Amino acid sequence: MSALQEQFVTEARELVRQATDDLIALERNGASSERIDGVFRAFHTLKGSAGMVELPAMSLMLHAAEDLLAGIRHGTLGVNAEIVDTALACLDQVSRWVDDFEDAGALPAQAGADGRAMAERLRSLLPGRAVQQPRLPAPGSTPGGILGLPEWVLRLIATERGALASSMQERPPVATAICYEPIAGCFYNGDDPLQLMRQIPGLLTFRVEPREPFLPLAEIDPYACNLRLQAISAGDFEEIARIFRLVPDQVQIIRIPREALADVAERGKPGDQPLIETILEAQCELLRVPDRTEDFAGCIGAATRVAENALHYGRQPHLADAVGRAGGMALAQRHAGALLSALEQALVALAGRRSPLAADGGARPDATTAGPSERTVDRVLRVSEAKIENLVNLAGEFIVARNALAYSAGQVGQAIGGSEVASSVQRDLDAIDRLVTELHGTVLQLRMVPMAQLFGSFPRLIRDLARQLNKNVALVTRGETTEVDKTIMDRLFEPMVHLVRNALDHGVEDALQRRAAGKSEAATISIVASRIGDRLLLEITDDGRGIDPRVVRNKALERRLLPPIELAALTDQAVVNLVFSAGFSTASEVTDISGRGIGMDVVRAAIEQVGGRVSLETNVGVGTTVRLDLPMTIAMSRIMVVEAGGQMFGIAMDAVSETLRITPDRVSTIKSNDGFVLHDRVVPIISLAELMNLPQQKRDAAAARLLVVVEAAERIAAFEIDAIRDRLDGVLKPMQGLLAGARGYAGTTLLGNGQVLLVLDVKEILP
Amino acid sequence: MTVRHSETGVVILEDACAVEDAESLLRLLLATPTPAIDWTSCSHLHTAVVQVILASGIAPTGRCGDAWVRQWLAPEPP
Repeated sequence: MSALQEQFVTEARELVRQATDDLIALERNGASSERIDGVFRAFHTLKGSAGMVELPAMSLMLHAAEDLLAGIRHGTLGVNAEIVDTALACLDQVSRWVDDFEDAGALPAQAGADGRAMAERLRSLLPGRAVQQPRLPAPGSTPGGILGLPEWVLRLIATERGALASSMQERPPVATAICYEPIAGCFYNGDDPLQLMRQIPGLLTFRVEPREPFLPLAEIDPYACNLRLQAISAGDFEEIARIFRLVPDQVQIIRIPREALADVAERGKPGDQPLIETILEAQCELLRVPDRTEDFAGCIGAATRVAENALHYGRQPHLADAVGRAGGMALAQRHAGALLSALEQALVALAGRRSPLAADGGARPDATTAGPSERTVDRVLRVSEAKIENLVNLAGEFIVARNALAYSAGQVGQAIGGSEVASSVQRDLDAIDRLVTELHGTVLQLRMVPMAQLFGSFPRLIRDLARQLNKNVALVTRGETTEVDKTIMDRLFEPMVHLVRNALDHGVEDALQRRAAGKSEAATISIVASRIGDRLLLEITDDGRGIDPRVVRNKALERRLLPPIELAALTDQAVVNLVFSAGFSTASEVTDISGRGIGMDVVRAAIEQVGGRVSLETNVGVGTTVRLDLPMTIAMSRIMVVEAGGQMFGIAMDAVSETLRITPDRVSTIKSNDGFVLHDRVVPIISLAELMNLPQQKRDAAAARLLVVVEAAERIAAFEIDAIRDRLDGVLKPMQGLLAGARGYAGTTLLGNGQVLLVLDVKEILP
Repeated sequence: MTVRHSETGVVILEDACAVEDAESLLRLLLATPTPAIDWTSCSHLHTAVVQVILASGIAPTGRCGDAWVRQWLAPEPP
């Protein structure tokens, strides 16, 4: 795949996302011209890009979508759910094709038929005459390449044909084409671009159009130039070049050989053109009549012949040939699409000079000469994820090597402490230490992506679900710019979908219930991301009916999740969090209780897997908030190294809430288990050595006991250990090989002395 | 004053309209519910002013006083 194609794939996906968002906003919040322009631009750019990588099926389909949007834009068509549905379906098709294109470098065999079907479907939503708007030729579709002239020159000659014919003498001149795109800030430099155009000698035709579609007046910056000025002149090339000598980067000046204009000069009958256009338009009308099965071949044949003759009469042999070929194709395909689009393109080429100020009010956003030069250059380097991953791994290995060096330095210090060599080693180690930390941080930054990428899928999901459930729901997202590690974001998607779906399905009431409860009919679901220290907080809130703790309590009792006494002791807040317990509920029962429950344990598991925590807060009748507390990155874990039973173990710092020494008098023994009270909670003491089946050291009954208090999965315990050895930042590797199946360990990391450290999975080993 | 409102609410362009007139023109157009532009008495239009006219989508009334603009941007209907 070429660089251009790769870029197309990336950009197309972004554009699809953007268009989807805009379409949904359009439907939800009404059709502001800015939003319509946004959607239109996205489709327009997509179509242009599809043309550049030569995907005619995609261009064709998007062309039809663009017509539809143009109708909305010009106010001849109102936005309705059907239009949005169809436009979204069109974007879905684009997405599938982009995937195919990425995989196979081409569209599937039936793409042409699918594209035409979708185009038909889009066109069917157009009111009768809206199709008659002037169309853009698909990029690359003009009879390109003749005489080696750039595309924009050919197009300029084609669109300005009428004006050229009337301003030229009998014999066509050697002419010059000028395309001047002043930079946006040119007015500030004191430039008056039209002043340069005024100086062009022997002007034959002049054309002005916006480079980017004009924004609504209220948003326009009058001092930002957004124009493309084009002209064809019979004047002296050198003289023209001299006029534009100060803006060489903004202008293209091309010599047009006599032959290129010969065709134009000969055509001395400007009065015929409207007639030819009318004839072509009539053929288009004819072909658009649906369900012509019986006289299909006759109809195509007749339309082709009539159009060909008319074009030959108008001295348009190229266009006539193109129409003839398209007619043949249409006959072979038994589908009028190819012929229709050839006729439409011929109409565009015929469209004579239109005054930008008089004809259509000048608001001509369709930049007919859109070329690669106008694409905004994104100063971003795209690097494949695999390369970044590699770099992250290397940086991780580097840290392990640093740890090893630190260990060696320690040994040097012990052996020849105080010597100059030892302090030199220590100094260098400190420097490496600093650099490694910085390097690792920078590398991890590369994987940080804004939450907007995750949020992007939800407007569509919510729209579709809401329509399905016949509920009125608005989505509010905040904190799109908050960044999180790509790995975490990828793993967040599924649980988030689950949570949002639950909120919509079970949390949000239907309109009737909402009215009865005195709420606005439209429910709101908000997704808010924020950064708290080095944690990412994600809150999914709905203003639905909330979860009734009484119902949860009964359910938990029924399901025997907890002994009744323990259950009775739980606060309402703790009770609602039981919905996260495995086996709390199954799908069939969920809708009976107030909402959530389907697979909430799955959500919790997924969140905990990336080192996150999930909690829930609810108010009956007011709504529910699910809070996900996540690490920003999982590549690096802070690990506490502890010793128990003569062995080293790692405990993820995430799980550690406190370390403390307690005197025996604070320990109370209940049955055979020790425990103590910490912050008004009873915390059981567990000997880590015993838990891991290691020999226990004899303890002096009067000595203080060293404890690490850990919390996981709503449980709390204190591990009794022999010593805390170290705290280190390590890259946690999953258990591999023979140990892959070992339970109770989250993974391994290397200690400075090369020893493998087993890191405990606290959640798993807590009894 | 090269850009002004007439009593009937038409935005009138007069004499040589310079770059800064683009902003005045834009302001007047935005302040008028159904704006119209009269360019018969202007002698020269700066690109920025022409751009505002184009962006407004309004077809100005009358014969443009700037001959070049009249010839190349707004030919009178035959």
